[in-house]
Amino acid sequence: MRKEYIEKQKKAGRKVLAVLPIYYPKEILTAANIHAVELWGPPGPPKGPSAGRVQSYICAVARNAVSFFADGHAEMADGILFPHTCDSIQGMATMLPDFGGWDKKTFNFIHPRGDRRKSLEVFLEAELRKLAADCAEWSGAKLTNADLMEAIRLHREIDAIRAELLDKRSRLSMNDAELYGLLRRGEWLWPEDHLNELKEARQKITSETVQKAAPLMITGIVCEPMSIFKVLSDAGAYVAADDYAAIGRRVVKKDAPAKGDPFKVLAELYHGAPPCPTRYAHQPLRMEYLSNLAKSAGVRGIIIHEVKFCEPELFDIPAIKAAFAKLDIPLLYLETELEKEMPGQAVTRLEAFVEIINAKKESEGKS
Amino acid sequence: MITRRIQYEMAGRVVGPVLMNIQRMQKKLKGKKKPKDNPYGPPIEAVKKLKEIMTLYYLQGRYADGAVPVAWVTSGFPVEVLAPLGFFSIYPENHAALCGVSRVVVEMSDEAEKVGYSRDICSYARTDFGCMLTEKTPVGRLPKPDLLACCSNICQTVLFWYRSLAAHFNVPLVVVDTPFVYGEAPEHHLKYVKDQFEELITVAEKVSGKKMSEEKLHKITQEALTASNLWGECLAAGKAKPSPWTGFDGFFHMAPVVTLRGHKICTDYYRLLLDELNDRIAKGIGGIKDEKYRLLWDNLPIWFSVREMSDLLANNGFNFVAATYTDAWASAGRQIDPSDPIGSGARTYQHIILNQDLNNRLNLMKAMVEEYSVDGAVLHSDRSCKPYSMGQIDLRDRLAKEAGIKALVLEADHNDPRSYAREQAENRLTAFMESFG
Ligand code: SF4
Ligand code: SF4
Repeated sequence: MRKEYIEKQKKAGRKVLAVLPIYYPKEILTAANIHAVELWGPPGPPKGPSAGRVQSYICAVARNAVSFFADGHAEMADGILFPHTCDSIQGMATMLPDFGGWDKKTFNFIHPRGDRRKSLEVFLEAELRKLAADCAEWSGAKLTNADLMEAIRLHREIDAIRAELLDKRSRLSMNDAELYGLLRRGEWLWPEDHLNELKEARQKITSETVQKAAPLMITGIVCEPMSIFKVLSDAGAYVAADDYAAIGRRVVKKDAPAKGDPFKVLAELYHGAPPCPTRYAHQPLRMEYLSNLAKSAGVRGIIIHEVKFCEPELFDIPAIKAAFAKLDIPLLYLETELEKEMPGQAVTRLEAFVEIINAKKESEGKS
Repeated sequence: MITRRIQYEMAGRVVGPVLMNIQRMQKKLKGKKKPKDNPYGPPIEAVKKLKEIMTLYYLQGRYADGAVPVAWVTSGFPVEVLAPLGFFSIYPENHAALCGVSRVVVEMSDEAEKVGYSRDICSYARTDFGCMLTEKTPVGRLPKPDLLACCSNICQTVLFWYRSLAAHFNVPLVVVDTPFVYGEAPEHHLKYVKDQFEELITVAEKVSGKKMSEEKLHKITQEALTASNLWGECLAAGKAKPSPWTGFDGFFHMAPVVTLRGHKICTDYYRLLLDELNDRIAKGIGGIKDEKYRLLWDNLPIWFSVREMSDLLANNGFNFVAATYTDAWASAGRQIDPSDPIGSGARTYQHIILNQDLNNRLNLMKAMVEEYSVDGAVLHSDRSCKPYSMGQIDLRDRLAKEAGIKALVLEADHNDPRSYAREQAENRLTAFMESFG
């Protein structure tokens, strides 16, 4: 379905841009009539002759992507965008164009690091302007400020509904697999099509709590394998608070002005995203954010679901453990490697974790 | 504060040198050991001075906090900007390497792992977290920082690492963010780094309570440039046949240019070392006695195993005559212009090897193969250092094809012996050496 859909976009005259994780100014691509297709892996072991080009201690997101591109599985894409997320994507962004595997158009988007300061503001705006100019030149679109403001408006609408679905999770009559399937289709649908699906889903928000299972919080990079949701649901839990970098951490709950310099607006929105280590969030601020998210959703447990070898995430684990110990919220640490299905041992651990939190709730109820 | 300052000055000017003299005398009294039957040339005399300098540095560091402003900095940080304001700089990476050589990494890493740090993060970071949590260190004591100073030019790992330090110590963290250079750096990237240098001065002035002296900045930058150049000349001595030292020697002798560049003691040291290396070249003295093959090393050393690996190679007539790692502190530094410390410094610090694309690294390695008459290369695939290691499989293949040399990728870890299969690595190295016939 995804493949046919992308082909249709191409036929409609849009350039297809494969985008690596995590953050990138989608608005610019939309305004330049470029169809973004995100690539998180893809799941499964890396296959083909290029599978061995990246060492096994590099995360599966980067490892799999290298073999996917280098072995010609992305022929539908006309270009790649490498956001400068981490050392692994940085490495990939030089390996593929320099040493073979990608000879079509390449864009880089450099994330500024450090506290918000004058130099950073100037740089970010210049980087956004450069990306916009490069995209317009590539796609042949005449990119005006009005186009950009319209794309900003469209993505604000999308984010507002995504935020609503996540925030009102307990009242949304969809299961996790359905909800996450919908949210992840945003990774490859044209924004207007995604918005229509989101609007439909919004109808499923009710006035009563419909989720009766144990509310959990989940944090990590990406919800792969997606079967994690079925495992949780079968065990009697659901995700009430989301902090996946691929999902919740990309939802900017901020309004944008209808008029103004679109690059200044984009820069403001950039700073409005929830805290993420890959974008240099201060650790204490991030812990405060996570604690508040957990409290407001009334979660009974937190699952840290990491992609193995993801350094940006791993440095925050001790702080998360300490923050949730303080809240007396049980924690499960789980690592996966973009497998197609949840490994058996991980399933057992998830089931046991849900049992523990349910038992805790019961004993608290008795005392 | 005054007492602390006196202790600090005493440690640097009196106690340290006296202790050093006593140690020297004790060694003299013991007499010279008979040279063992080993594959190496006579030991490098400057090593004694190196040990003194580094011991003194860490000794003075014990008393630095409370006496002078203390900064913990990454190895690629522009310390030339901090030194004129009187900062004493501690390099957690260098300290972690020292822990590696002292073989305390497993103990320290265990402590870090106990609170939740994963074994999959850089072993330098783990080592230092362990030291930070236990306050244990082979150097006696590390001063607490007043400022954390992190430059992203070596990796992004340091950004995550220093965020954690900032949360622990609750002190200001200043970041000099150097956008990765793909091909040519666009104008707005260069401007960004330069602007940050200016901002850095403001932050450092605030933390130190001092005003930047242009004169001192020029002087220190000049001193750092001289040290980098001298270090470059020491490395270039390896072009001689036989090379007057081994690449493994180079890993240790780089400590002053990393930790003390900008200080006269560092410049003087490299003059001394260079004189000795030139003297060895004139006399035909090699780092190893019978140099048959010359190798290039890529990536960090395996600190805990330098000696064993060196022995294995030297016993078979193989010598590392060049390394991309030690070269980093020579080639980058050379571009600094003391008459424009900020502008040229910003450019220099952005353009270090780890912050540039793989084509640049391949070209550098090919040039080294040529200039150092290298026969083969060992690329240390370092589990802990992802930015340095990613792309090495391709680099190996390219190097073999384009430079016409044999190349080996060797799996290990720069600081954590638990991620190193010694026997397997030695077998691979042996097979590699045998392939030379
Ligand atoms: S999983 Fe982590 S390390 Fe891997 S690409 Fe994503 S952010 Fe980078
Ligand atoms: S990841 Fe590599 S470059 Fe970064 S601190 Fe560790 S060893 Fe140094």
